Amino acid sequence: MRQYVLRRLALAVPTLVLVSVIVFSIMRLMPGDVVIRMVEGHAYAPTVDALRKELGLDRPAHVQYLEWVGGILLRGDFGSSYWTRQPIWDEFIRRFPVTLELAALTILTSVSIGILVGIVSAVRQDTASDYVGRILAILALSVPYFGLAVLVVVLPAIYFKWTPLWTYVAFTADPIENLKIMSIPALVFGVTRAGPIMRIMRSALLEVLRQDYIRTAWSKGLPERAIVLRHALKNALIPVVSLVGLQTPLYIGGSVIIEAIFRLPGVGLFFFEALTRLDYPVVQSVNLIVAAMVVGLNLVIDLSYAFLDPRIRYR
Amino acid sequence: MGRRPLAVYASVLLAAVLPTLSTTDALAQTPKRGGVLRIADREAPNLDPHLSVSFLTHSWSSMVYSQLVRFPHGPEQKHPADFTIVPDLAEKWEYKNPTTLVFTLRKGVKFHNKPPVNGREVTADDVKYSVERFMAKSGFRSRLEPVQSVDVVDRYTVRMTLKEPYAPLLNHLANAAYVVILPREVEDKLKDFNRPEAMIGTGPFMVKAYQKGVQIAFERNPDYFMKDLPYLDGVVIEITPDSTARLSLLRAGKVDLGHMWGYLVPEEAKSLKQTNPEMVMTPTLTIGQGMIYMRTDQPPFNDIRVRRAMSLAIDRKAWNDSIHYGEGCIDAGPVPCAMKEWKLEASKLDPAKAKYLIGYDPTEARQLLAQAGYGQGLTVPMFHWPGYAPPWRTNYDLAADNLGKIGITVEFKPEEYGKYISTTYLGKYDKMAMGPITPFSEVDDWLYSAFFPEQPNNRSHVADAELNKMLLAQRREMDPKKRLAIVHDIQRYLVDKAYYVYVPHPPQYITHAPHVKGMKYKDGFGLGPRLMFTWLDR
Repeated sequence: MRQYVLRRLALAVPTLVLVSVIVFSIMRLMPGDVVIRMVEGHAYAPTVDALRKELGLDRPAHVQYLEWVGGILLRGDFGSSYWTRQPIWDEFIRRFPVTLELAALTILTSVSIGILVGIVSAVRQDTASDYVGRILAILALSVPYFGLAVLVVVLPAIYFKWTPLWTYVAFTADPIENLKIMSIPALVFGVTRAGPIMRIMRSALLEVLRQDYIRTAWSKGLPERAIVLRHALKNALIPVVSLVGLQTPLYIGGSVIIEAIFRLPGVGLFFFEALTRLDYPVVQSVNLIVAAMVVGLNLVIDLSYAFLDPRIRYR
Repeated sequence: MGRRPLAVYASVLLAAVLPTLSTTDALAQTPKRGGVLRIADREAPNLDPHLSVSFLTHSWSSMVYSQLVRFPHGPEQKHPADFTIVPDLAEKWEYKNPTTLVFTLRKGVKFHNKPPVNGREVTADDVKYSVERFMAKSGFRSRLEPVQSVDVVDRYTVRMTLKEPYAPLLNHLANAAYVVILPREVEDKLKDFNRPEAMIGTGPFMVKAYQKGVQIAFERNPDYFMKDLPYLDGVVIEITPDSTARLSLLRAGKVDLGHMWGYLVPEEAKSLKQTNPEMVMTPTLTIGQGMIYMRTDQPPFNDIRVRRAMSLAIDRKAWNDSIHYGEGCIDAGPVPCAMKEWKLEASKLDPAKAKYLIGYDPTEARQLLAQAGYGQGLTVPMFHWPGYAPPWRTNYDLAADNLGKIGITVEFKPEEYGKYISTTYLGKYDKMAMGPITPFSEVDDWLYSAFFPEQPNNRSHVADAELNKMLLAQRREMDPKKRLAIVHDIQRYLVDKAYYVYVPHPPQYITHAPHVKGMKYKDGFGLGPRLMFTWLDR
C-alpha cells in the first residue's frame, strides 16, 4: 500500500512537469500579445517596450519558464498577475473555498440525484419509472449547464422580477445566507451532471443484480431493500466513484462559467478573467495548482476502491 | 411589438430629452440628500489609476480622486459631449505664453481623512508628483509627451513648461483616464496605489469597503470641496461580469443601474421596456465610431477610386433604419457625430465630394471599380473580432452584403480578441478590416491619431503630406477659433478621400431605475463627477 502510494506520487512528477510545459506554451501560442492587450489602442512603441520589460516578457521563453517553475519550487512563489499585480497564491487561497464549496454542493446534488434515480431505474427496469428516469438522464445530459444557468438567471427576472443573484457572503460569515446563494448554482450545475451518474449507476446495478451472490441473497429470503442497498449497491458504486473522480476536473472547469454567471468570487471567475486578459502567470499557475489537485484526488479515489471492494489490493 | 410602434415610441422618448424640457424638469425637483445608489458592472483589474489603462479602473478612480481640471457634468454640462474645461483642484489656469501654463490651486482642499494622509491639504507638490508619475508610468503617457517639466512655484502654484505649443493639453488633463492627483506619501508608506486602503484622494466619494470579486462600496466624502455635494450617501458597485446577469439584476430591482454609465443597446432597451415600463431610458448618441479600414499603402486600396467605390457601396440609410431603428447617425466620421463642437456635418460640405463620405450610389461605385481595373470584381478579406456587443455581428454581415452588390466579395476573417486587439486593431492586417474604436474625448485623437503616419491608431496607414501639415497645425494652434477652423479644413480635405469607410453609429439607451434623478449621461470616464450630481427620490 505504502509503496503503491509512493509510486503514484513519483508518477505525478512527470505529469505535473508536462502540465506546466503545456500551459506555459499554450498561453504563449495563443494569438495576441498581453502587453498590447493591456494598453489596447494606446500602443505607442515606447510604452509597449517599457511594459514588456517591466513584466519580464522581453526575455527568451525558456528563461521565463525556468523562472516561473523555479519560483514555485524554490520559494513557493506562484508569481503575480500582470493586471492586478497581486500574488496569485494569495488570491487562489482566498478564492478556493468558494469553488470548493460549489464543487462539493454540486457533487452532492448530482450524486444524490444520479444514484437515487439510477437505483429506481435499475430495480424497476422497463417500468414507467425506469423510462421517466432514463428520459430525465438524457435530458440532463443534453442540456448544457451554462445554457440552463442563463435561463435560471434571466427567465424569473423577466416574468417575476426576481433573479437568483445575491451579493456573495462567505459560509463562515453567515452559513444560511451563504447556502441560499450557493444552492441554485449548485443545483443547476448538479442536475446537468447527474445524467451520466444515473446512467452508470443503472447499468452497474443491473449487472450486479444478475450475479450469483445476489441470487444467493434472494434464496436466503432477504428483503429487496437489504439486497439492493446492502449487497448490490456497494459493488455497483465502484464505476460511479470512478466517474465522479473523472468528472472532478469538469466540476472545476464548469465553475469558470457558473461563477461568472452567478457572480461567485471563486477560482473559476479568477481564471475566466485572467484568460480573457491573457494574464499568463495566473492561467499557468491556477492550471498547475488545479492539475496537482486532480492528480491527488485521483489517488484518493483509487485508494477508496479498497474500501468499496475488499478484493482490490494495491501492489 | 412591430417596428413601427417602436419607432414612434423612440421618437417620443427622444422628444422627452429635449434640453428645454429637461431643464424645466430639473427646476421642478430639488435634489434630496441621502441614499445609496447600486450599480452592477465588471470589476476593475487594478486600482492604480496611473498604471492601468482600463476604463473600469478609471471609472472607479474618478469616484475617489480629483484632477487639476475636469469636464462639466450634471447641471454644468450643455450636452453629453461638452468638453469645456472647468476647475477641479485648480481654481484657475493661464497660458503665460504658448508653452507655459500656470495653474493656481484651490486653497484648503483636503485629502480623505485616512492614514497615512489623514486629511492633509493638497499642495503643488502633489500635482508635480502626480503629473511626473503619470508621465513615467502610464500607458497613456504619450498624451503628455510635449510636456517638458512641471515646477512648483509656491504652495498653491504649479507651472507646466511644454516643448512646443500643444492645444490638446487641457482636454487631456481633464480626462478622468489620465492625470488624477494622488497624495505622494501613499507610495512611500503603503508601497503602491493598487490596494483599496491606498485609494485616498480628494474626490466626492471615499472607499468604504472592497470585497474582491463581490462588491466595492463608496461613501460620501463629508469634506468634499464642492459645497453640499455629493447628494448620495454612498454608491455600491455589485461586481457582475456577465451582461445577462447585469440586466437580470436591473429587471429584478436589485440594482438601480445595470451598467456604470447606464448603457443599453436599443435591442436590450426595447426588451427591458416591455417587462419594466417604469425604467427611465434616454436614447443618447454617444461618442464612438465604427468603420471599415483598409491598407491604403497597398493595392487595391491605394487607388482612391476603389476606396470611393467602397464608401459609395454602403447604403447608410437602409442600414440605420434596419438595425438601429432609424435612431443612429449616418454621418459618423472622421469626427464622431456626438462631438458637436468640432464636427463639420456632411450637409455643410460640397455635395459633389460629400457623397464619397455618406452617399450611396452602387452604379457609380461599379464604374469606379471598372476604371480602376476591377470590372470583374475583386475578393478581399475582412479581419474582425466577432465578439463586440450587438449590433456588430450584423454590421459585418451588412458590410459584406453591401460590398457584394458592387462586385467586392468579402472573405470573413474572424479573430480571437487577444489577436485582434494586438494586431488588426493596431493596423497589422492584410488589405481590409472592420470594427469600432475607443471613444476619445479630444478631437486630436480622432484626427492626428487616426491619420498621422506611424500612429498606432492610423489603421488605414494614411500618409498624406498635405494632411499632415494640417494635423500638426491644429495641435499647435492655441487660439480655439483658429484651431476649430483648421479642424474644419481637415474635415473638408478628408471628405472625398475615403481613407476610412464609416458606418452608421447607433445610440445607447441610458437606462436607470425611476427613483434615480439628476443623472445626466456624459461621455468620458468620469463616473465620480457624474454621480456627485445624482440623487435618489424614494
